[in-house]
Amino acid sequence: MEQQTHNNKIDQKVFEELCDAIGRENVLDNIEERVCSPFDTSEGKSIPDLVITPHSTEQVSSLLSIANKHSIPICPQWAWTGLSGGDVPVKSGISLDLKNMNRIEPLNARDLTVTVEPGVVIKDLQDEVAKSRLFYPPELGSAGFSTIGGRVAESTGGMIGMKYGVTREYVLAMEIVLPDGSVINTGRKTLKSVAGYDLTRFFVGSEGTLGVLTKITLKLLPMPEKIGTVISFFSDIDSALNATDSILIKNHLHVRSLEFADKICIDAIRESTEGEIPEEVGALLLIDVDGNEKNVANDISRIDALCRENSALNTSIANTDEKRNTLWDIWKSISPSLFKVNSMEFNEDCSAPRSKVKEALKKVYELGKAHSLQVAAFGNVGEGHVHLSVICNNGKVVDVPVNNLISQIFKDVVSVSRSNRSAQGVGDTKSEYIGLELAPHEIEIMRDLKRMFDPKSIMNPGKTFGNSSVHRNTHYK
Amino acid sequence: MKLFTKNKKEVNKHQKALNELIRVVGKERVLSSVEDRICYSYDGTKQKVLPDIVVRPGDTTDVSNTLKIANQYEVPIYARGAGSGLTGGAVPLKGGIVFDLKNMNRIIEICPEDFVATVEPGVVTKQLQDEVAKFDLFYPPDPSSAAFSTIGGNVAECAGGITGLKYGVTRDYILALEIVLPDGSVINTGGKTGYDLTRLFTGSEGTLGIFTKITVKLIPKPEKIRTLAAHFRNKDDAIDAADRIIDNNILPRTLEFLDQMTINALRGHTGTDMGEDVKALLLIDLDGTEESINYEMPVVENACKECNGFRIKVAETAQEREAIWAARRSISPALYNIASHKINEDICVPRSKIKEILQRVDRIKEDQPIYIANFGHIGDGNIHVNIMYNDDPGQEELAEIIVNKVMKEVVALGGSISGEHGIGNKKSQFMELEIPPHEYDIMKRFKSYFDPKGIMNPGKMFIR
Repeated sequence: MEQQTHNNKIDQKVFEELCDAIGRENVLDNIEERVCSPFDTSEGKSIPDLVITPHSTEQVSSLLSIANKHSIPICPQWAWTGLSGGDVPVKSGISLDLKNMNRIEPLNARDLTVTVEPGVVIKDLQDEVAKSRLFYPPELGSAGFSTIGGRVAESTGGMIGMKYGVTREYVLAMEIVLPDGSVINTGRKTLKSVAGYDLTRFFVGSEGTLGVLTKITLKLLPMPEKIGTVISFFSDIDSALNATDSILIKNHLHVRSLEFADKICIDAIRESTEGEIPEEVGALLLIDVDGNEKNVANDISRIDALCRENSALNTSIANTDEKRNTLWDIWKSISPSLFKVNSMEFNEDCSAPRSKVKEALKKVYELGKAHSLQVAAFGNVGEGHVHLSVICNNGKVVDVPVNNLISQIFKDVVSVSRSNRSAQGVGDTKSEYIGLELAPHEIEIMRDLKRMFDPKSIMNPGKTFGNSSVHRNTHYK
Repeated sequence: MKLFTKNKKEVNKHQKALNELIRVVGKERVLSSVEDRICYSYDGTKQKVLPDIVVRPGDTTDVSNTLKIANQYEVPIYARGAGSGLTGGAVPLKGGIVFDLKNMNRIIEICPEDFVATVEPGVVTKQLQDEVAKFDLFYPPDPSSAAFSTIGGNVAECAGGITGLKYGVTRDYILALEIVLPDGSVINTGGKTGYDLTRLFTGSEGTLGIFTKITVKLIPKPEKIRTLAAHFRNKDDAIDAADRIIDNNILPRTLEFLDQMTINALRGHTGTDMGEDVKALLLIDLDGTEESINYEMPVVENACKECNGFRIKVAETAQEREAIWAARRSISPALYNIASHKINEDICVPRSKIKEILQRVDRIKEDQPIYIANFGHIGDGNIHVNIMYNDDPGQEELAEIIVNKVMKEVVALGGSISGEHGIGNKKSQFMELEIPPHEYDIMKRFKSYFDPKGIMNPGKMFIR
């Protein structure tokens, strides 16, 4: 049985060496397990030769030194939710699934820190630290099932990147296994530390191209006393974005998150909302505020007034956790609901400075119109992050090359922005755009640094700096 | 004043570099008279070493040209902002060029819609804070030196300050950097893809490159700030009170602690109305809307009371607030009333270990004939341990021994030898206490990759 299903790309001797070091039960080689593994929403699937599920740093270390010795590529699998292809093994090789490394070290609430293994699901982390009335601020839409290792490796911004900053600001220390199998410890488990170069933050956002994160120490904050949620409906996108400007830019409200969705997104989720969203709604804002009860009450009444000033059709306030959760569950269903829409061509994140989002979106919609394509947009406009989906009308195959279209969208966004670092990191669906922003000298520096840590280029090869063997995530239906 | 002794070959190289600098960067930007050089020989540590050349660049091109020349002739180069660093970062230990960036002090852009500002490195931190405040925006990192230190120096050291618990430190606010590398090439980091070079260079203490533009993140300026002072009969009560405030879900803008020795120094300095029964003090700022502060202040007062705090005083007016903070700011000069020399450490421990480290510091001091004053940012576990000594024989050596012991205890408790001042040459001997050999070597590899000739701030951060 093993003989039949074992992929012949990996030498039998190496296979045995891996089994000896890591345990046969942690080396998955039958076709079902390998196919199930790289379940990525951007669908640039390829099948790894082996899936390895280590339980400890020592096992990760053994795995890496064996893989390094035999130059076998390794792709960290984290949770399988990445939207930019960062989780899909681009070249065949070993897929490293850290789901079994999901321990949370006992925490001392006084420290305002917690140390976890990479496979810990964000939701479990939040629940655990909540017992000490603490919280881990950079949570995300997919917080329910994504893991901290993936989040840190992709340095995600997330839904509440505005008030509380991004993942990187919460990573204090890490244990990392380097490609040669050596284990290093970076940073300190203290709220401040400046001794030497900042290796910790250098590895944050490195997308598994430099090493495997095996322990992560995070900064926590006291849980806000209260969270309030406001949902506001508008007849058109402009009004919604004007309200955003008014809330954030003109009135400086320090909101926890501010999310936007356009008409196509709203249509996609309408059926799950039990008719709560009227037909005439063309855009919505979903806004969270937090703090003490005075703050929350104050902010909500100001937001309500500002939305009305900007011709909101209706604004409703979630007073209970249950109502809040319902609103957010609906919100989180946008992404999967869009996949159900017929003839999705392309799904991408972009980011622009907050003040340029309106202009960028306008250009994107115009571009879509020029090619008879529909564009669905939603995202954290407060942080300038927008998820774009391009949909072709009536299921017809688009006759313009989709790649060019995407390039055009990106160029438009970049032309009005200073940054395209998105909330989702740089997976292979975006690596060809790096050239738009990194100067050749800077790309060279990145490659040199990659080589410094991973001379045989076994770690997540093909990611971040081009040379991807997967040709984007576009597909025609 | 020390003079780094150079061999003939080095003297020759320096002369060639000087000629070349005058030719390329311009006579008016290159100083070489002894009088001028003396002005650039020291920093906040009171170490003095005379540089050979001072270059005062006006723009990125000047910086690039200077580095090319320094690199070509292998002349050491030391970036300098206000020269107020506390670990020797700007001291020209091995002679060569001091790079005075104070003239590059333009605020290039404040973008109120995007909450970002881009500045040159020579901008004084307070000036940046004041300029963005005109737009009701806030640049939170607030080192005690903000009134004179430069943003370039703050980024180079990854400065912290009194707002760290609630708002984080300098690295959390740096979005992008324009950096000139030692070979004179210019790179732009941040706001885009690839590895996080912004963070790698933040806190690199002038050992990897020179920042020429710094883009910072801003946040909305809190509407109000209100200050409270609470007195305690022993330090453990004050530490408990700090914990209790956080337990009540409140993150104060500042949460400062002063121990008995520090309070004694203040008594001798400005005279305070604090009675002899005051053995510890907490200074607390709350910020936010009026309503929010009104809601939180009684909670803070109660937390202090529950931990035996007394004479809990909320500053009602701006003058009262200023009086409280003036005392905090005068700690550094006041300490010299205790003794004529000071070693100012800025250790950081996990918050739960604050009591423990202070006990261990007490035990190390015991009946040794020196003084230790502890104060600082108790909110984030970052304590300034000040070892005070006089000119008497053996005192300096004793102080050094004590620092050594303190550092070992800090590392044993999982702490860091520096929370915010950096390493420089004053703490480079302790680096390997905290940083394991492999990690140390990785840092050195970064250093030799970016600066293969070792011209950038030699003698700092690493001792081997």
